[in-house]
Amino acid sequence: MAQEASSVRNARRAGMITTRGHTVRTGPELSSTPMVVRSREEEETVVTFPHLVWKEFLAGLAMMVFLLAVSVQINAPLLQPANTAVTPNPAKAPWYFLGLQELLERFPPVMAGVIFPGMVLVGMVLVPYLDRNPSRRPEDRKLAIGLFTVYVTMAVAFVIIGTVFRGPNFSWYWGQVLGHPGLNSKV
Amino acid sequence: MSSGSYEQNPIKAFASEVWGSVFRHGLPTTDKVAARTALTNFFLHIHPVRVKKSAIRVSYTLCLGGLSFFLFIALTISGLFLMFYYIPSVGQAYQSIKDIQYVATFGLVMRNIHRWAAHAMVITVWLHMARVFYQGAYKPPRQFNWVIGTALLLITLLLSFTGYLLPWDQLAVWAITVGTNLGKYGPIVGPVSRYIMLGGRNVGQSALTRFYVLHVIALPLIGFVLMVIHFWRVRKDGFTGGL
Ligand code: HEM
Repeated sequence: MAQEASSVRNARRAGMITTRGHTVRTGPELSSTPMVVRSREEEETVVTFPHLVWKEFLAGLAMMVFLLAVSVQINAPLLQPANTAVTPNPAKAPWYFLGLQELLERFPPVMAGVIFPGMVLVGMVLVPYLDRNPSRRPEDRKLAIGLFTVYVTMAVAFVIIGTVFRGPNFSWYWGQVLGHPGLNSKV
Repeated sequence: MSSGSYEQNPIKAFASEVWGSVFRHGLPTTDKVAARTALTNFFLHIHPVRVKKSAIRVSYTLCLGGLSFFLFIALTISGLFLMFYYIPSVGQAYQSIKDIQYVATFGLVMRNIHRWAAHAMVITVWLHMARVFYQGAYKPPRQFNWVIGTALLLITLLLSFTGYLLPWDQLAVWAITVGTNLGKYGPIVGPVSRYIMLGGRNVGQSALTRFYVLHVIALPLIGFVLMVIHFWRVRKDGFTGGL
């Protein structure tokens, strides 16, 4: 038993086993064998309390301080009361939907509003079932990491473009970075 | 805890008895006490008693899942406070936000916390998803927790979106008008889903009522249940740990 464990360890060190053999049990054998969730001798562990709880506490505290500092300095926006007769120009969706708005600007509505977002959404949910590669090492996952990085880059770029570079009529606009006076107002 | 010297002082003895009945174990002096403390404390028992050293390195999780949950709690508390004052009616919503800002004690800072925490949560949840992806932490046996995660991302976005309308100012109404217009391009379902979302063709009182109810009851409740399942599975599947 001990010998087996150490051979697993050696194999992993040598880079031969890339998933953790002891935690990964999939398929039909799951029901017939008792599941080994963690095995002690494989990896060094520490008691959760206080080691992990302390880190959680510090992270929470840091976030609290950060939130308070921001909230004391910067007020949440509140514009004029809603007026359905006056359309602001540009009218923008909340920032996290600006990617969608950007797509609608560039592609026909059915593509931008249905096909692309649908593909992203369904693809996202299915990620673990589409990616059959058992390895977790970056050098074995070039395709997965490449595709995801394309998504990340586009998502971030669209939000920045929508927020900063889209002006009246949602057309391209340099005024916010180059400081064109008078055109920045949102009504 | 029950040291002999307390017995001379009845108040101290009573205090010690009460304390001891709430917290069954003291601060962790040995691993054994630490394990019992974690096991018998409701808030701590969500964790396993022992964790892999590599799994709790800050450089591994970047604390992003934990911070998302922390922000959810901060939003619940500050949101509760805002609910004491906010009136979900087209005629009064805007004024009630003004009251929160200028009349209610600490109202301004509470509203700010709620607003900025909401933005921050969208960011931390999204980054958490990215870290899980880059580390391949969704691979067996954690596939389904990724699926629950995507539902949580959706809930987070919807919470933020429904909250956006509530101040009933120009920013709110037009952002929601544009946002719901984005959804109307689907064949058949598109316009219907927009109509269902708004309870009409325009952003008006029925939209405000729907968004309010979704924002303060339905979505937080669904989100909370999903989070509990998410955490349960993180524990049961075993934490992935460092590469
Ligand atoms: C409200 C949103 C969410 C909360 C509060 C949350 C919370 C957490 C927490 C506390 C952990 C433990 C590790 C860590 O802190 O990173 C975790 C792990 C995990 N989360 Fe989330 N999460 C959320 C959304 C998501 C999303 C959007 C995804 C993916 C689409 C996801 C997938 C996972 C997976 C697969 C794990 C296991 C990772 C591992 O074992 O290394 N979660 N989550």
